Amino acid sequence: MFPGASDERERSDANGQTAARDGETDARGRESDRGGVNFVVVGAPLDVSTTFQPGTRFGPRRIRTFAEPFDDYDRRTDQHFSQLGVTDHGDVRAWDDVEAYLEYLEGTLRDVVWDDAVPLMLGGEHTVSLAGVRAVSPEVVVCLDAHLDLYDAYDGNEHSHAAVMRRILEVESVEEVILLGVRTGSEEEWGRAAAEDVTVVPPVDVADWEPGAELENRDVYLSVDIDAADPAYAPGTGTTEPFGLEPREMRDVVRALAPHAGGFDVVEVNDRDDGQAASLAGKLLREFVFSHADAASEPAGE
Amino acid sequence: MAKQQTEVRELQEGSYVMIDDAACKINAYSTAKPGKHGSAKARVEAKGVFDGKKRSLSQPVDAKIWVPIIDRKNGQIVSVDGNDMQVMDLETYETITMRVPEDKDVSPDENIEYLEMEDQRKIV
Repeated sequence: MFPGASDERERSDANGQTAARDGETDARGRESDRGGVNFVVVGAPLDVSTTFQPGTRFGPRRIRTFAEPFDDYDRRTDQHFSQLGVTDHGDVRAWDDVEAYLEYLEGTLRDVVWDDAVPLMLGGEHTVSLAGVRAVSPEVVVCLDAHLDLYDAYDGNEHSHAAVMRRILEVESVEEVILLGVRTGSEEEWGRAAAEDVTVVPPVDVADWEPGAELENRDVYLSVDIDAADPAYAPGTGTTEPFGLEPREMRDVVRALAPHAGGFDVVEVNDRDDGQAASLAGKLLREFVFSHADAASEPAGE
Repeated sequence: MAKQQTEVRELQEGSYVMIDDAACKINAYSTAKPGKHGSAKARVEAKGVFDGKKRSLSQPVDAKIWVPIIDRKNGQIVSVDGNDMQVMDLETYETITMRVPEDKDVSPDENIEYLEMEDQRKIV
């Protein structure tokens, strides 16, 4: 369970489903207990198409573990994390049929959206963001990433983590994608990135970037690929890329976007470091929650 | 209520299911693989037949569940009076009163097809 969240762990067996087994429809199972919940953490430990260094299957567990030392209280916003209505759904166990997995994961996340809560997904490889975007149906997707992830298919796989932004651009609701911190891509990808529906902000310009009028009154989804950070700060990821972002630059982006975002994920954390990547991922998730909740609590018009 | 019991695994897109005591038509059905230690679960996304509300459920595939028995019937409009219309069931010749759907133009003598579950009806 994510520290500070309440437990909504899915049971792996049918215990507790007695109502359903007696023949009465227990619709949504335990999810009917979600009244008053504002955020739902969902682990998505997909680790199928990772390139170079695998291990994203351990991402959700690592992020939860390395979030343990964080204080409940946030001085900046004068809030306690444990009082912000965050619940942890547990992991949606991954299997190797990616298309079927994404469909099931999307449904789980859509239940969160239907409950008027904000899904907070822990990856897993970046491919899982496609399920998050489909569930939230945003107009704008903002992504912190070292890579463009705009391959039409990587090694023939259109569901590769390196093709996720290309798939996201095909989601009906999505009008544009803003990629922050990108510093590498193939020639083909840069060609796709030149189109009007893609904006690329290189690392050197991220500190000065802020959401402008283009995000006003539009639904936003925020995805954080932990490899956007310089590998010095987050070595525990599949495809490290030097000359990256400072953690504080990433934090400022998350703080700025959280009030606009109806969905959030942090992905591509693996277990190949001493917890640096997971610690940063967990901290960014908490920053998202604090900033989103803080903005939501402000009276309208301020 | 006219309903029968089945298992979640028997459901499929396009079929009916009871969720929150409402008859719903399934428009998405996906299953999670069980792994070594779990049981397979299914997630069903459906829309209320008579109220149009979206609902979902997530259950083990071997859980029991109720499926509504919905009849598809043919009728003839006898008369229209404001928001209500009199419809004659072409099988039993029984006359029933139905609400005129907002999105449809209806006129007397017109033949219609409708779904019926107990006292709930909806024009197809």
